Amino acid sequence: MNRQAKDISEMKCCFFDQNTTKQFIEFLMSKAKVIAPHRKGEKSFSFQETHNPEEVVLNYNRTIQPIKKFFMPPRETLLEFELNGKPKVKKPEIKIEERIFLGIHSYDMKAIRLLDFSFDRDKPEANYFLRRQKSVFIGIAYEPDEYHFAQDLGIDVYDTTGFSLFMVPAEKGFLIFEVDETGHRYLQEFGKGLPLDAELQYERPEPTKKLKMHYNRLPQIFSHVYDSPVWKKVAERCLGCGTCNLVCSTCYCFDVFDEVNLNIKEGTRERTWDSCMLNPFAQVAGGENFRPTLDSRTRHRLYRKFKYLTDYSGELHCIGCGRCSYFCPAKISLVEIINELIEDYNRQQQHAAVTVS
Amino acid sequence: MSARKKSQKPKVAFFDFTGCEGCQLNKLNLENDLLGILELIDLVEFREAMDDKAEEYDIAFIEGSITTPSCVERIYDIRRRTKILVALGQCAVSGGINAMKNNYPLAQVQEEVYGKDKYLFPSMPAMPVRAFVQVDYEVRGCPMSMPEFLHVLKSLVLGRKPEIKDYAVCVECKLKENECVLEKGMFCLGPITRAGCDAICPSNGQYCTGCRGLVSNMNKNGAIEMLKQHGFSVEEAIKRMAMFNTNELVKEANWGNR
Repeated sequence: MNRQAKDISEMKCCFFDQNTTKQFIEFLMSKAKVIAPHRKGEKSFSFQETHNPEEVVLNYNRTIQPIKKFFMPPRETLLEFELNGKPKVKKPEIKIEERIFLGIHSYDMKAIRLLDFSFDRDKPEANYFLRRQKSVFIGIAYEPDEYHFAQDLGIDVYDTTGFSLFMVPAEKGFLIFEVDETGHRYLQEFGKGLPLDAELQYERPEPTKKLKMHYNRLPQIFSHVYDSPVWKKVAERCLGCGTCNLVCSTCYCFDVFDEVNLNIKEGTRERTWDSCMLNPFAQVAGGENFRPTLDSRTRHRLYRKFKYLTDYSGELHCIGCGRCSYFCPAKISLVEIINELIEDYNRQQQHAAVTVS
Repeated sequence: MSARKKSQKPKVAFFDFTGCEGCQLNKLNLENDLLGILELIDLVEFREAMDDKAEEYDIAFIEGSITTPSCVERIYDIRRRTKILVALGQCAVSGGINAMKNNYPLAQVQEEVYGKDKYLFPSMPAMPVRAFVQVDYEVRGCPMSMPEFLHVLKSLVLGRKPEIKDYAVCVECKLKENECVLEKGMFCLGPITRAGCDAICPSNGQYCTGCRGLVSNMNKNGAIEMLKQHGFSVEEAIKRMAMFNTNELVKEANWGNR
């Protein structure tokens, strides 16, 4: 799963004009359920099942929810139970269907690979992996906006890892790159793209330089900023609404609760997404709360991305999609927090150097 | 603690104080579930729906705020006769819309409403039920949220502690992948208002008016800053918050004086 795909300059490529692209989406719809970005509301986007190729929006900045929602729904029934006489328990069947995810940015694909890691640790998360089967991903290059910082975290716009095909917007259409066997098969069957023989010329966007330090050094920074004043500063603006966790592509915490029917004889065990920024998250029986303040919760949220899980996986669990900052009602920027932590770390180092000399 | 004794259904009563009785009427709108509810409980008092009265209750649901001296007497009396007391709807939970009058001198309010007859109607600031007696559980909202009411009722019948949500409406909007109404340039109290309504207003293109009260340990300065960032003045923010949260704002009297 972590196999690094080769660079797109080495891949076979063809050209789709706008019309061929629509026909290709129709072709994909004949193969399986197609999930692609659609408009949502006035100016937002959302991954949804495609019923009409015209409605697919391939030049989007970011969707509200990442594709995680298709593998781990915001709310799902884990068990159905019956309390009448001898208690009976039934697990609802999860339909495994072929799905093609179209128009996925490289960082969202990376997030799925990170979730695969998180859910595979210890006891594999059965429901996630059941839904995860039979998924084909078709990537697309994007223009980073002011909130994207995936490149700063080492995720290239053209990173094709995990994809079967990769689309690059070009004049009046798309360049389609064959990444793997499945992608090759799709293009063969569709057979309408214009082959490109000439050497490809395309410009890579300038890497964004939003973080003040190389991403490989971030876990080290986080070993030194646990008691940083930055956390309290962020907490002054934070409302603890949980938006950052609930739109995060790599967050996976959930809450489980039982709900009985009105006859109080049958019921269901439900699971819903949870957020470590919320009041009840770290609360236990008796009312004690282990993280009662917003500064301790923000710190925990970031440590989960840059330290705790990184210690296990060796990878940062933030993918720089910018959702947490873009959708934050208080406009708290993750990049700003990290940069302030870096500054705080640098100050500490200076202080230590002075003490030594 | 279990309200259900063997083969005996809990005695349940509903009482109305100062409010529009919308929360009570709301229950009668649960048409498909009414018979199911009556299977669970022994309804002994419910003025909106029946004439009977009883001496003791296992569960008393209280609707409306406490606004007159006779309300105070009644609520003490009910508390003495019930094992569990549940505040129903925002008037009972926080004083609700009624509490807006607390911003004006009582004499002026009485004059405005009753004119020369004001001496016949003793009045006091609109207060939540918990200002006078112990409240065991709360069902918030204006009108109260029906799924939450059913959850509390079922839990109490089973002898379980109901789970009351203490987080922002934003959570429910995100779970439903709603486009943020602040993002659309509208006002919204979702980030500081308690969830449990399934974000019904933002889901239908409206902004959150804060009818379920504020989340506990809310960051008040952060909330003001947030609304300012979205282009609202402190005065407007407080005015809109006061619609359902006057009593909660009184606790935070220094709001806006920074």
